[in-house]
Formats: sequence, C-alpha cells, structure tokens
Amino acid sequence: MTSTSQPGAGPAPTASVPRERNTTLPGLIAKIIFLGIVLAIGVYAVPLLIHYKMWMWLAVMVAAVVLIFAIYLTKRFIPGKYLFPGTAFLTVFLIIPVVLTVSYSFTNFGDGSRSSKEDMIAAVESESFKRTPDSPIYTMAVGVAADQNAADGPFTLFLISMDDADQTVLAGRHGQALAPWDGDAPTVADGRVTAVPGYQLLTPRQINTAYAELQAMDVAAPGDGQAAIKPQTPTQAYQGKVTIKYDAAGDRLVSDAGVVYPNQTVGTAQCFVAPDGKCFQGKSWLQNVGLKNYSRLLTDSGIRTQFLAAFAWTLVFSLASVCLTFLLGFFLALTLNDERVRGQKGWRAFLLLPYAIPGMISLLIWSQFFNKDFGLINQLFGLDVNWFGDPTMAKIAVILVQLWMGFPYMFIVCTGALQSIPGDVKEAARIDGSTGLSTTFRIIMPLLLISVAPLLVASFAFNFNNFNAIQLLTQGGPSLSGQFTRGGTDILISMIYKQAFGGSGTDFGFASAMSVLLFVLTGVLAAVQFRITKRLENLT
Amino acid sequence: MKRLAVIAVAVVGLTAGLTACGGQTPDRGEADLVIWADANRTGALQAPLKAWAEKNGLTAVVQTVATDLQANFVTANEAKNGPDIVIGAQDWTGKLVQNSAVVPIQISASGVSQTAIDAVSYGGQVYGAPYAIETLGLFVNNALTDNAAPATIEDMIAAGRAGGGENVLCLQVGESGDAYHMQPFFTSGGGYIFGANSDGSYNTADIGIGAGGGVQAATKIGQLGAEGVLKTSITGDNSQQLFNQGKCAYLVSGPWALADIRKAGIDFTLSPIPGFAGLDPAEPPLGVHAFFVASNAKSPAFAQQFVNDLLSDITITRAMNDVDARVPAQDALADELKTSDPVLMQFLDLAESAKALPSIPAMDAVWSPLGQAEAAVVGGADPKSTFEAAGKEVANAVQ
Amino acid sequence: MSASAPLAQLHRHTAGSRKRWWVEVGWRYIIGIVMVLIVGVPVLYIIGVSLDPSGSTTASSVFPSKITFDNYAALLGGDKGPFGRWYLNTLIVCLVVTVLQILCSALAAYAFSRLRFTGRRVGILALLLIMMFPNVLAIIALYSMFTQLGEAFPIFGLSTIAGYVLCLMGGALGQVWLVKGTLDSIPQSLDEAAIIDGASHFQVFSRILFPILIPIIATTAMLAFVGIISEFIIGSMFLKSADSMTLAVGLYGLLQGDKTGNYGVFAAGAVMVSVPVVVLFLFLQRYIVGGAVAGAVKG
Repeated sequence: MTSTSQPGAGPAPTASVPRERNTTLPGLIAKIIFLGIVLAIGVYAVPLLIHYKMWMWLAVMVAAVVLIFAIYLTKRFIPGKYLFPGTAFLTVFLIIPVVLTVSYSFTNFGDGSRSSKEDMIAAVESESFKRTPDSPIYTMAVGVAADQNAADGPFTLFLISMDDADQTVLAGRHGQALAPWDGDAPTVADGRVTAVPGYQLLTPRQINTAYAELQAMDVAAPGDGQAAIKPQTPTQAYQGKVTIKYDAAGDRLVSDAGVVYPNQTVGTAQCFVAPDGKCFQGKSWLQNVGLKNYSRLLTDSGIRTQFLAAFAWTLVFSLASVCLTFLLGFFLALTLNDERVRGQKGWRAFLLLPYAIPGMISLLIWSQFFNKDFGLINQLFGLDVNWFGDPTMAKIAVILVQLWMGFPYMFIVCTGALQSIPGDVKEAARIDGSTGLSTTFRIIMPLLLISVAPLLVASFAFNFNNFNAIQLLTQGGPSLSGQFTRGGTDILISMIYKQAFGGSGTDFGFASAMSVLLFVLTGVLAAVQFRITKRLENLT
Repeated sequence: MKRLAVIAVAVVGLTAGLTACGGQTPDRGEADLVIWADANRTGALQAPLKAWAEKNGLTAVVQTVATDLQANFVTANEAKNGPDIVIGAQDWTGKLVQNSAVVPIQISASGVSQTAIDAVSYGGQVYGAPYAIETLGLFVNNALTDNAAPATIEDMIAAGRAGGGENVLCLQVGESGDAYHMQPFFTSGGGYIFGANSDGSYNTADIGIGAGGGVQAATKIGQLGAEGVLKTSITGDNSQQLFNQGKCAYLVSGPWALADIRKAGIDFTLSPIPGFAGLDPAEPPLGVHAFFVASNAKSPAFAQQFVNDLLSDITITRAMNDVDARVPAQDALADELKTSDPVLMQFLDLAESAKALPSIPAMDAVWSPLGQAEAAVVGGADPKSTFEAAGKEVANAVQ
Repeated sequence: MSASAPLAQLHRHTAGSRKRWWVEVGWRYIIGIVMVLIVGVPVLYIIGVSLDPSGSTTASSVFPSKITFDNYAALLGGDKGPFGRWYLNTLIVCLVVTVLQILCSALAAYAFSRLRFTGRRVGILALLLIMMFPNVLAIIALYSMFTQLGEAFPIFGLSTIAGYVLCLMGGALGQVWLVKGTLDSIPQSLDEAAIIDGASHFQVFSRILFPILIPIIATTAMLAFVGIISEFIIGSMFLKSADSMTLAVGLYGLLQGDKTGNYGVFAAGAVMVSVPVVVLFLFLQRYIVGGAVAGAVKG
C-alpha cells in the first residue's frame, strides 16, 4: 500500500483510443466475478430471510443486489459506482437505525412495555400459575407411542407422587385428567418411571426441546378440577393453577380472588390498573403514544430546565475543548517550530504521545487522578481541590483532560500549517517593519486559521457528542441538588444515555424523543458551521 | 487498478479469514445451558457448572457480562437472544418481573433461608434460587482503635480519633453517593425508604426520604460530613484499599471485603454497625444473590433443573464458595462454614438485624436520587431541602 | 529571523548574547520541558502502577514501591479473561473497519470532488449531517437489527466479531471530508489529461490520485484506528462472550467488575494496548504531519 509510484505515471501506453474505453480484460473478469458473487449471496440469502420473515432485511438485501447490478452493469450513473459502497453501509447501519429511533420516540417503549399486549397477557397468565400449597411434587417421565416420532407427540406424562409410598404410576394426556396408569406395567427405578411397554421415553434433551408444548398441555390434577399438572424440570412436575386470567370481553385482568384490573390510562400509556392506582406489577405493553414524549419534554419544567442546562454546557464544553486545544497547540507549534531549537523531531514525537494512547484508556486513567484525597493531582501539587465533587471544578477537570488529550492534534496540524506558509510572506512582513509578535498575530494567525478552520469545525462537531469524554471520566457527576437526570458535567448525549439506560429504569421512548431533539440541534449547528466554513472558503 | 484490486481482495480475504477464526459465536448453538453473570461470579461458577453439566451429559457455559448485566439481560431476553439463567441480586426481582423477563421457580428443597426466599419473591411467586446472602458489617482495625465493638457512632468516632489513624471511618460515598452503604446510618437516624402496609408489604405511597425521620437522618449524616468522618472522596474504588493499607480505623463493608483484608494482613475484628446515640439501631441492608430463569430461555427445562439441583444439595454452592466465599443461603452449608470460616459466618448473625430492601420495580428509581442526596449532604448541602427534593423525585418516579 | 541565527551562534559565549539566546531560544526549551513533564508524568505513573504488585489506585508516589511483572503475567496468563484473544479481536476489528472505511471514504470523496452530478452538494451536506448523529443513541435499534440478522446468518449476529465490524461500518463515510479536502487541492488538470489519454475514471482514481493520497490516507487511517480501538459502548452491548470481546470492552469490564483489585491489571493492559499504537504513530509520524496539513490546507 505504501509503495509509491510517481504521480502521473498515469494511463497505460496503449490508451490512444479516445474516450470511454474503460474496460480491460482483467477488469471485465473481475466485474463478472464480483457480480456473480453478489448474485450468489442474494440467491442464498433471500429465501432464508423470507423463511425468517425478516422483511426489513429482505428489502435491504433485494435493494442492494438490484442497485449493484443497475450501477455496475450500466454506465448510467458513474458517480454511483464510487458512492455506492459507503452509502450502502451508511444507509443500513446508520440511517435505518436513526429512522427506527425516530419511530421509537412516538411509543412508550421502555421497562414494562417492551412486548405486545398479547405477549404481556400470556406472560401474566403463565406467571400466575401458582403451586397448590402442600400439593405433591411428582417425578416425571414423558412418553410417546413407540410408532410415533418422539419429537412430535402426542405426549403422555408418567408421574409418581414423591409423597406416595406405593409409587402408583399416574398418567396424563392433553385434555384428560391425571389418572392411574392402566396399561402394561411400567418399570420404576428410584421412584421414577424408566420404561413403559409400547412407549418410548423422551431423553432430557427431547423434553427440553418440547418444553413449551409440555407446558401447554392441559392435564387436570386428580381430585381438584381447577388445578392442573405442569412439568418443571425434565424429571419433575407439580400441580397448581392459573390465578390471574384475562377477561377479553371486559378487556381486563381478573384474579381468582376476585380482584379486577381494568384497562386504563396511567401517565402516558394504558395498562391494567391495580386497586392502588398503579399498573399491575408495573407492566404495560408497547403502544403508540403520539407526541406525548415530546410534549413531556417541552412542558415538564424540571426536564426542560435540565435539557437546556445540559445544552448550554455542551456548547461550552465543545467550544472550550476546541479553542483551548487549538491555542495550546498553536503556541507550542510556534515555540518549537524554530530552526534554532534542536531535536525538533524528538520533541514532536514525545508531545504526540497523549494523542497516540487510545482515548478510552487515557480517560479511565485520568478518572482516577482527580480524587480529592488520594488522586495523583492533589498529591503531586499538594492541593486540596474537590475536583469531581464541585460542579465547577469538575467541569474544569473535564476540560483539562480534553486539553491533555487534544493538544497534540492541534500541535501537529499547526506545525504542518506553519511549515506550509511560504517563507517570503514572513520575510515581507519583517521588511515591512513588523515585530515578531505582530507578525505572528497579524500575518501568520489569519493565514493559519483559514487553513485549519475546517478541522476546528470538525473537532467541534466531534466534541459536541463526545460521549466517552464524559462517561468514562466523571459519568456525568457530580450530582446537582434538585436535578436527577443531569449531573454537573453531563453533556446532552451522556444525559440522554442515562435516561435511556440509567439507574432509574429504562425509558427508550422518551430517550428517543430526546435523541431526536439532539439530532435536530446538531443539524442546526451543522448548518451554522457550513455558513462559517463557506465564508472561509470564499476568502481563499 | 491492480493495486486497488489487490487491496480489495486482501481486505475481503482478511475479513473472511479473520472473522472465521476470530469471530466465533459464543457456542450458544452447542451449549445446552447458558448462564450470564457479572465478572465477580463467573470464576466461581466455572468448575461446579462444568461438573454439573458433565454429570447430566450436557454442556453448559457461564458468560461474563461486563456492564449493566440487568439491563443487558432484559434487552437480550426480549430479543430471544439471552441466556437461560442470569445471576442477580434480590432487588432486581421487581424489574425482571415487570418486564416478564423471568419465570417463577419452585423451591422444593428444605433448609433454604426463608428470608432469602422472601427477598426474591414477588406477587406470591418465587422467582430466584437464592444461593448467598450478604449484609454490611463494621470491620475494625485493632491496631488503630481499642474499641472493637463501639455501641454508638459517637463512641466509634471518639475511639477512632484517639487511635490516631489517618481516617476514622471508611464508608464509601463517592461523588454520586452510595445509598446501599449509607443505609445503616440512614435508618438509625430515623429514615426509611418505603413505609410498610399492615400485611408487611411495602407501601410505595409512603416515602420516608423527605419526611421528618429522613430529614433527621440527613442532618446527622451532614454532621458526620462536616466533622470529616464521612467524605465524598472515599469511594467504592478506594475504601477497602485504604482500610487494607491501615489508613482507616473502621470500614463499613460486606463479606466481599474479607479476602483482601486477610491478604493485607490487617489485625481486624468484625462487629455490628453502630447507630447514633439515642436514636434507632442501625439496620443494614440485606442482599440476596440468586439464579433467575429467563422467560425466553432456549433450554427452559435444563434451566429449571439446574436451579432445582442447586438448592437440593450443597455440591454446587460449596464448590462456588471455595472460590468466592459468601454467606450461604443454605443451612447445611452454613453449618459447615461455621467451623471452617467463623468470621465469614459472623455475617450470618449480622444478617439477622438486617432488612431486605424492597424488590419492587420502583427501587431502581430510589437508589440514585437517595445516593445523590446523601453525597450532597455529606458535601455540606442543606439536609432538609436536599432530602425533600430527593423524596419528591422518588415519588415522581414511583408515581 | 532566520538570517540572524548564525550570527547569534557566533557570539554565543558573550554574556549579552547569552541573555539574547534565552529571550529568543532558551525559553522554548523550558516550555518544551514543562510540556514533556505534563505529558510524561501520567504516562510514567501508569507504567508504575502496572509494575506495582499492589495495583493501587491510591498510591501517593509516581514510583512503584516494588517492581514485578505480576500484573502482566496475570493478564497474559488468562486469569482475567482471554487477553490474547481480546488483542487479536481488537486487531481484526480495527484493521478491517479502518481499511474498509478508508476505501469507502476515498471512493466517495473522489466522486464528490471530481465528478459533477445532480444532488452532489445536497449529498455532501446530507452526509455531513447524518454522520453527526451519534450511533450510541440508536443502540437499541441496532441491537434489534442485529438480533434478527444473527438469526438468519449466525456469523453476523450479536457477540460476533463480524457483526460488530458490520455495525461499525455505519461510519463508512466518516473519513470523506479529509480525503475530499486533499483531492480538491490536487489540480484537476492532472486527471483531465489522463482522461483525454483514454484512461477511465477508475484508472484515474487508482493510478493517479490514490498514490498522491497516501499520506492523507495514512493519517485518516490512524485517526480511524484510534477511534475504533476506543469504542466500547456498542461493544459492551454486542459482545457478550469472553472470546468475542475487544480490548476496550474487556478492560472496561475488568475495571467495572472490581476497580480496587483490577487497577494494576488494567494499567498493565493499558500499557500493552498503547505501546503498539504509539509505535505505529511514531512510525507514521512523517505521514501524519504531512497528512494533517494536506487535509487542513484545502483550496
């Protein structure tokens, strides 16, 4: 990759035919092989995706194959050939997730509301299956008639009550009550059926595979029509009954004790409401809540204040990060970029160090340095600063770390830019009678700013959403009195992350609404930045 | 063209080759049973799980989830991508049930601590197979104080000061607080999180954080902060270490601290945590560690079998204990350990005065505001307004 | 300024010129030394912690009390997880993602810089905007997408390196700007001449422009590489089995699991992760300085 050929070694000598002679034989073969592979992958994947009913991926796959053929087989849209690979990745792994996130923001997706109403009801009913107090535990074997396929059933449960000294073998089938086995005598060992004539017994693995079906079997318990038998482990079953049922007519849950949980709206979404006015077991289901997440964001004064405060600090944080690293980097570049300073390469290499250490490592290390009583910084300088305890000092600490990590980049950039400023410019300035300092500020700085402005803008954009810098250093702390979502150093993205995944439960719907707002804010800032860079471009 | 083609081919080859050898899936397809645990527990479970699996002719793996095990588990389980079993603490129960992420289990074995079983029960069903309990105690550095069992916090401070150690007390607070470790002091001061209904269950409408008792406790905690007994600079990262370096006369911590204290060679005594003079006795929190069976387990029968076997005798729990000593929830194992590790088993006595924290889903909304409020008060904030605000925040979250 | 330098050297021994030397040159050394200390002390400290068997977070001295390689041995011996595997995984992820991202970006940058088509300006702006959306926020969506994908194609599922690589390819066009900036500064006449000579667009790109772009590509590759090596949020959501973890996920997990006990081991890991990157940086330094400027100085 690094072998350099002279620029302009250029086209092959045979290339005398004018225009559009753009295929060589190896190129053609490569193209055929490439398209062949694409087609093969498509042919392989499409039935599989249909089988799994993954419509989104199916659409992605088909679109990709069609586009690849359309773009690389024809000459209709040449830029497409260059744009396609990156754009395809971008679309699938960035744009689609963004669109999904936007769609989440209109739902109550979060703890207790991750599944559909049907799934939630099914889970409630099955979880409410309660063992009858003091009822026996049974050893269990599962049999299937010898001429049937073991995996398919129909299954017969062979049970022996652990309390039963006689070890009477009971049998149960779907739809029938558990009753003493009246077929050929089974073999019993250690209180459990190990063989039944005319039946094959399922291995533990087979039972494990068929577990859902076994659980769904309706086998009434002996002597108690209400109770049913349920397999538990591959070798044990117990009896009990469903204690909460869904009443479809009234759209409500009813417990066997007669408690009714009607479907009502609590907060932003519906759920089955318990007598204490809260959702039953905190459970709800995934539902569309329209704009309620957004209206909560805009009207809940506590959250709005925290959001705005985080936004303000995000701006300060990213601006300070960029400006300070630039100023330090520029200063160092001016200082060390002087031919009288010896060992320039050595200095440069050493000062590059913080930039070369992976940021995540640096941040985790620095997070230990700021402890008030035991951290390196206070120890080294004999200070007693409560760095991460005081919101202001914590902010300063965050910026200091940003400075440490970021100045080498600016140092390099400025060194390079300084070297590229033609010597005669400086010479001319000197002849005009400028002193060293005013040359620096009046001539060099503007020239340099023009050339590095796009990088400053990019750096700003990066820091605006620099999640690691906060999460790994302070985790947003310290806490602020009266504010529980935002910590003293939380920038918007870390605050939203806390909202979505933080300690106080997960609320993806609301966090998605915040993300969308952050996205819009980012977009507005980007637009402003375009203006600035464009103006700078026009200057040159 | 050629160079680019070479690069492209190299990349494709590299991707295919390296991912083939480097990116194998976690053997989900092969393993009959998959357990998720945090980093501290996987080591202890490795060998006994293997033995159990071999005995049953199965394969089983335990996987470490580095961060946010609970949230990761719920998400993965919802996506039918999770494990068969997850190891968690009792205060997860409510949240796991809320998300229908776990299924009830049946405990038929006898000799399992009823307190522990109650702690992992919810709505009349048992959801976890408890294997260890833990609570907080007071570790005393005998070289730095002559009062090895202070009756009150005030006595403890006086003795600690007299001993001349660098710090009187190491109780982790940190910048964002640690409500769990502060719980003994909070309850001694008169604070409580949720009031109780007549049937003993928690009444989430009665929040005691911003009420009179909570504010009184906060005032006391604030005083300790002002006296320099509690410090936000003492965190979960350094509190045990400071004690082990002989820089604290007293340490509030749990059984997990024991191994390192012994390794450091500190001459120590384990005592109950004292309360404030003239106020309530300290009530340390009771923690329970349990195995939960995932609702979307791929091997539900094996998962049920494992939790059943776990409690039916002490083979598995004893083997776990050999690696990672904890206070067992099974009487039989506790009896064994009483002779082999009496200090550890002191925690069992301490646990008698401890109280399990509520396992309702709302607990998640309690820890961080309460911890933050405590850290703020230790740092000098006004106890009354701070705790009232925290109480309000908890009330909002609990709704 | 430079003209007076030899003169200053000539009279260096006199007191007056020594003062002048301090004013003009000497202070630069002092600042350099101060910066070296600021950069060096934390780095030394971490090396010290990694060699200190007590692995203390509260050490009051920069120098370890005792020097052993226990922490390194613990990591390499696999006591704390398959460190070697993490290392390999990290290399795979970083290399594959970096190379693919650079390729995609370079191709797209060529289209944006050299080809004229409708929607070009809008495309550039839209791209910049989209790239600003932090994928951390879309993590839930990504998770469910990859859950599905993994069902149909287990090799791309969660907890697979391939799936993780694919997910990170969402940033495939992240390096477009730097490359485009450089391309814009290369005179169009160069490739126009080639086109007239009958070269195809692709030949122009691969034979003429690509070689010129190598410095900037080395720079962006380095940038991408250190960025990817630090990614841990998506990683810790995706990579669950110990064998599939990257260094960032694994080491972060170690530290989260037990900060007290694992700090020394973490420090050892940090040193082992950083050394190759630092060496690579120093090796590529010439390119990086040149590349950064080329990216910066655009027309």
